[in-house]
Amino acid sequence: MRKAIVFLMLVSISLISPNLLFAQSKNEILIRNATVLTAAKGTFENTDILIQNGKIAKIGKSLKASANAQIIDGSGKFVSPGIVDCHSHTMLDAVNEFSYSVTSMTRTRDVLNPKDIAIYRALAGGVTTANLLHGSANAIGGQNITVKFKYGKAVEEFPIADAPPGIKFALGENPKRTNFNPTPNAVPRYPRTRMGVMEVIRDAFVRARDYKKEWDDFRAKKSNVQPRRDLELEPLVEVLEGKRLVHAHGYRSDEHLNLLLIADEFGFKVATLQHALEAYKIAPEIAKRGTGASIFADSWSYKLEAYDSIPYNGYILWKAGVSVSINSDSDERMRRLNLDAAKMMKYGGVPEEEALKMITLNPAKQLGIDRRTGSIEVGKDADIVIWNAHPFSVYAHPELTMIEGEIYFDRSKDLTRRAELQKERETLEKLDVNRPPGSGGTPPKVPTEQRRADLDDADGGNR
Amino acid sequence: MLRRNFAVPFLPSSALKIMKSLFRRCFVAVLAFVSIVMSVNAQTRTATFAITNAQVVTVSGPNLSRATVVVRDGLIEAVGENVKVPADARVIDGSGLIVYPGFFDANTSLGLAAPVAPRPAGQGLPTTPTQSPSNSNYPDGLQPEESAIERLKSGEAQFETNRNAGFTTVLTVSRDGVFNGQSALINLAGDSVSEMIIRAPFAEHFSFTTLRTGQYPTALLGTFSALRQMLLDAQRLQANRLTYDKNPRGMKRPEADKSLDALLPVLSRTMPIVFNANTEIEIIRALDLAKEFNLNAIISGGQEAGKVADRLKAQNVPVLLSLNFPKRTTTASPEADAESLDVLRLRAETPKTAGKLAGAGVKFAFQSGGMTSIGDFATNANKAVENGLTKDAAIRAMTLSAAEIFGVSDRLGSIEKGKIANLTVSRGDILSKDKTITHVFVDGKLFEQKEKPKTPTPTTGGTQPAATASVGGNYSITVEIPGQPLPGTLSLTQQGEILTGNLQTQLATTPIKDGKVTAEGFNFTTTVEFGGSTFDLFVSGKVTGNQISGTMTSPQGAIPFSGTKIP
Repeated sequence: MRKAIVFLMLVSISLISPNLLFAQSKNEILIRNATVLTAAKGTFENTDILIQNGKIAKIGKSLKASANAQIIDGSGKFVSPGIVDCHSHTMLDAVNEFSYSVTSMTRTRDVLNPKDIAIYRALAGGVTTANLLHGSANAIGGQNITVKFKYGKAVEEFPIADAPPGIKFALGENPKRTNFNPTPNAVPRYPRTRMGVMEVIRDAFVRARDYKKEWDDFRAKKSNVQPRRDLELEPLVEVLEGKRLVHAHGYRSDEHLNLLLIADEFGFKVATLQHALEAYKIAPEIAKRGTGASIFADSWSYKLEAYDSIPYNGYILWKAGVSVSINSDSDERMRRLNLDAAKMMKYGGVPEEEALKMITLNPAKQLGIDRRTGSIEVGKDADIVIWNAHPFSVYAHPELTMIEGEIYFDRSKDLTRRAELQKERETLEKLDVNRPPGSGGTPPKVPTEQRRADLDDADGGNR
Repeated sequence: MLRRNFAVPFLPSSALKIMKSLFRRCFVAVLAFVSIVMSVNAQTRTATFAITNAQVVTVSGPNLSRATVVVRDGLIEAVGENVKVPADARVIDGSGLIVYPGFFDANTSLGLAAPVAPRPAGQGLPTTPTQSPSNSNYPDGLQPEESAIERLKSGEAQFETNRNAGFTTVLTVSRDGVFNGQSALINLAGDSVSEMIIRAPFAEHFSFTTLRTGQYPTALLGTFSALRQMLLDAQRLQANRLTYDKNPRGMKRPEADKSLDALLPVLSRTMPIVFNANTEIEIIRALDLAKEFNLNAIISGGQEAGKVADRLKAQNVPVLLSLNFPKRTTTASPEADAESLDVLRLRAETPKTAGKLAGAGVKFAFQSGGMTSIGDFATNANKAVENGLTKDAAIRAMTLSAAEIFGVSDRLGSIEKGKIANLTVSRGDILSKDKTITHVFVDGKLFEQKEKPKTPTPTTGGTQPAATASVGGNYSITVEIPGQPLPGTLSLTQQGEILTGNLQTQLATTPIKDGKVTAEGFNFTTTVEFGGSTFDLFVSGKVTGNQISGTMTSPQGAIPFSGTKIP
């Protein structure tokens, strides 16, 4: 009998405890004595954060950690939540499916490139989470994916599994710009006007409504023939059912308002108006519907349809009760979203924490992932940035960026690694395969980085 | 279902395949066998050979040091150290020679005619997408029913270069389109297409690319969704047909869609799908698609397959591994940025891929991967050996492993009694620099090297006589600028190894500079003015029959071109 009990105990220990032990010792991190900007419940000085199993376990003074915890001295440092970029095309091998005005069947998930160096640079700017959107060439673009920048991990580790799915819409100039045609063979595409763009969207939802009815009838056994699965309409049905978030690119407020009216007509909610540089004109209408605005901090009047944009856009929207986020839409700008948030304090005087929320908690809410990220609160994922100075200072840069308690950017390690990389380069360059041919051969290629920019240009900046 | 197919004997072959796969396999195998036996009987009835006193690398069994291989009527009649030489055999003294099973090149486009006749010169750019001659519901490039058998040219002379390098069997398929179509496994001998075929169709081939006509898909995003929708539609078509065949009354007749039909054997796993994938992420994408639709996948290319060897092993996916290793081709320029670490690493790492796959237990076969000189095949196989692959495994990847992947290891890939007599005989180890291929047998037919090579020069390591190709003439070409094919005329005047002439397009007519003709083809430079600036275009290519093809490399990258000779 006793033997049996011992045996059972052994079995249960071997079944359970290794996992627990492993998970506990896997990463326990204690950040000590830092200024903590929670982006939810205020700023606390000389405060500790205890991270266990990738989650924020405790926030307080003089916290205790187990013996094998990693201790990070936060004296003189500032700690913020990881930045969430609500509009990005980083790590996508393709951005625009140009052929049709409705390309809801496409998925950015299919073309993620986890080796994109821009991910690492974004981490170095404190960004941990991004909404990776299809481009803006089409009235209804592709399905987006919300990812955490787990650089170095396999591609399937990037998407946030429980993030609600979304889709890109685009209004105005970009989808109607058919005269700019990168492929001369292509048949000119409908629509050509702003009203045509609206018609395309309404038509798509009429088709989606019919398609939904076909399936509803089939499921209710009113019809025997199973309808064809239509990958174009399926995501739009999800929009109608409130299961998929709509992120609508646009600049002119009349167009954004029109889209809100179409959404009213079909009974769905638009999650975010993207760019929305004139959204201040329709702030009450946006607030009433609970729609978010994801804007640029500046880029005022940078193109004709953005002519009426003003520096106070963000402030007016915030004042009207609209959830405002500030996005980058750019690999480069992504690295300094902290300064874009700071601009919201300058123009109108958005309070400091509210400004910080615009790059953390608010985009997390807009993307439906605020249960796990966006602020420093107990129980949330440990997506945390440690800065050398207040993140709204022009002298600030991240020293450490972690996602779920794992460090993905460490400035000190980056600096020491540079010598190693230089050494590796020298070794590699000496190899035969890497030596340039003595004569002949093709001229050197334009570096990849520059080609990327050219490609963007060929896209007509349809991002 | 069965009855219907039998009642209509001229259904596309793909329709036959959705019947019982077992039946189909036997049927195809018997057909291939019968055609081989018949052809051998007809042409070389008395062809009996005995290679004596040779070292024999059987691959399936131990190496034999002084053995005899008897070839009769296209098959290996006997192999062993105590085999009697038949009285009627032509004896080849194999002293100092090594007999290998005929080598496979696991992915090529050999023997395929050009897809579409080029537009007449001077017609300018078309204003509408090129109309496909097919009556498929899908545009050119999205037609999985495209079949290599239909485009195969008959005649064995076209394979001389590859056969002389020791290759007897190749997989061949087009490289055009998102769906490249169905491949064929062929022997590099036989004067009719039916004689050459070992197994066809073997697999559907798929590229992560886009249509160049401006039609959907224009971006990689759309390529995925187009594939998904087609596979779903094919599944639905099949289900509807079953329902309809039971009771057609009151139900709309399912369409006879030949493109979707071609996907049915892929969905039922009876036909593998070969994904052209080189980078780590491309391979992962292919594996994920295979998982999503439960497909029988094969990776072709596989440059970075070593990085995902564990995934390949877990999903039991073989690799047709390219031996076209990347090397630096750009000249050094003080103004150019340094190459990225990724590029430098890739070149150093690629030869290690084969060893990594072998270590992880992933099945792989070597392919030429579009290399410019087939002599690089053995050279780079040897580099794989220098980088961690055993020599036996390297030979296996050119023989039995390939036969296994192609499902023909019961008749090819090793030197065993009763197998097809495909043999490659060389003086010197096939992976060494100093080797000469002396005899190649395909289907028991002997091809002796026409010209004994001069002393092999160690720098090239090649065994090919340094002849000069014949390339002179005027060619109507199309430069495949993505989405904007550019027609033009290439006028080549050849004087020995010197090439002159010009390149005419609607942009300009520019003279050829530094033109050279080599054994493989030709190359030249021409200066083009475009958008107010001038740059050098490096052009290299080859001429096969009346076909011309090659690459134009500019500072913006490389673009393929192809065309035909103007009579």
